[in-house]
Amino acid sequence: MEQVTLDTSVDIMITPQFYTMKKEALPVKYAYQARKVAPSLFEGLLEGHSRYDYFVFWQGEKWVFIAYNTEEITAFLEEKGIAPEKVSKLFFAQQALEHFTSPLPLGEKEALTVFDDTVVVVPQLAVAKQEFVTFNEQFRPNKGIQLERGSALLLSKKQTAMLAVVFSLFGVVWVAEGWRYKKSNIELQAEQNELYKTYPTLQSVYSRKSIAEKYRNIDRIERRKREIIKKISELIFKGVALTDFELDTKGFKAVFAVKNKRVAKRLDELLKSAGFSKASSFSNNEIVVKGKI
Amino acid sequence: MSWQHYRNELIVVASLLFALVAFGYKMKQRSATVEVSQAMETEIATLREIDSLKKIWADKRISEKLDRVRTLIPSSKVKWQKKGKKLTAVFSELKASEINTLVTKFLNIAVQIEFLKIKKRGRSYSMEIRCKW
Repeated sequence: MEQVTLDTSVDIMITPQFYTMKKEALPVKYAYQARKVAPSLFEGLLEGHSRYDYFVFWQGEKWVFIAYNTEEITAFLEEKGIAPEKVSKLFFAQQALEHFTSPLPLGEKEALTVFDDTVVVVPQLAVAKQEFVTFNEQFRPNKGIQLERGSALLLSKKQTAMLAVVFSLFGVVWVAEGWRYKKSNIELQAEQNELYKTYPTLQSVYSRKSIAEKYRNIDRIERRKREIIKKISELIFKGVALTDFELDTKGFKAVFAVKNKRVAKRLDELLKSAGFSKASSFSNNEIVVKGKI
Repeated sequence: MSWQHYRNELIVVASLLFALVAFGYKMKQRSATVEVSQAMETEIATLREIDSLKKIWADKRISEKLDRVRTLIPSSKVKWQKKGKKLTAVFSELKASEINTLVTKFLNIAVQIEFLKIKKRGRSYSMEIRCKW
């Protein structure tokens, strides 16, 4: 075969030099079942150090098993200038058995012909008396093999299957999780709606905020007022009397009558620890305390 | 160069894309759940707070409770004026124990004290309170 230069992808039919073939009438229905037994059929027939792939198809009344070495085919094609990525499909000559009605010339010296239902390579001299057929589109079988791309190959079939299964599994799990979250969102929304039905006046965010703010203020101010009254009442002890006390919404004023300076000093300390500040110093036996709410 | 040559890679890329889209979908739904549940928690907390504050400061039995305070002091010492949800009460000639009881009672009722005045004259006390609820 001569060197070629290709611009587009091509389909290639492989001649018997590149494959080993066996025919068997196995009791299996599908090709994938037949493919499983293919390695055992070729045991002892193939070179042990090479890696073989198998192609199986139904022909006549038998399963046809083809063992081929991808590396060998690829190397040959590359040697002839055909890069693996330029090969769309590979077919085997045996697949087009019925179209070999006459020998098909292979170069100048050899020819493909059918012998005992098998496509074989013979010297052209052996079939010189016969008329040759022309190789055409009719020879193209329906099924073929995809040539792996040698050095350009990134992923093998096994790796592809494994990665695809792993990614798909993750995808399915994540979709399921997402769906579960979505379901819980719907449930939460329903719960929220139920809550608003219980408190219809609080449905609006603004009314909720303003009501909450109103009651928070009341709570804070009223607690403060009560705290002040409680603290003032705690400041009454022997020698100290509360004579006047006033409290309104803004502040308070308390007047203590104090017996003597010693008691005044003690009251002063207590006022400081309670966080109050005196409005006037000790005079006329009185201490005045003022503060804001 | 036919796409069929990259069939394996395309399959892997497609499944990877599917996984990424699924992951995005999951994360989106998860963040939505977190958002909704956080909003729910805040709203429930607000509703509970409003509910408990209302129970305290808008108690419907406040009026009743105030009436009971009035009965603690002889009526001759009390000027009691209640209008709607507002009360003005003036107490006079109170003993120290009476003023203590009154102040404690008023502080324990959830009224909003607008004005409180206590005066000591000699041994007796007077008290004025204005409140609302």
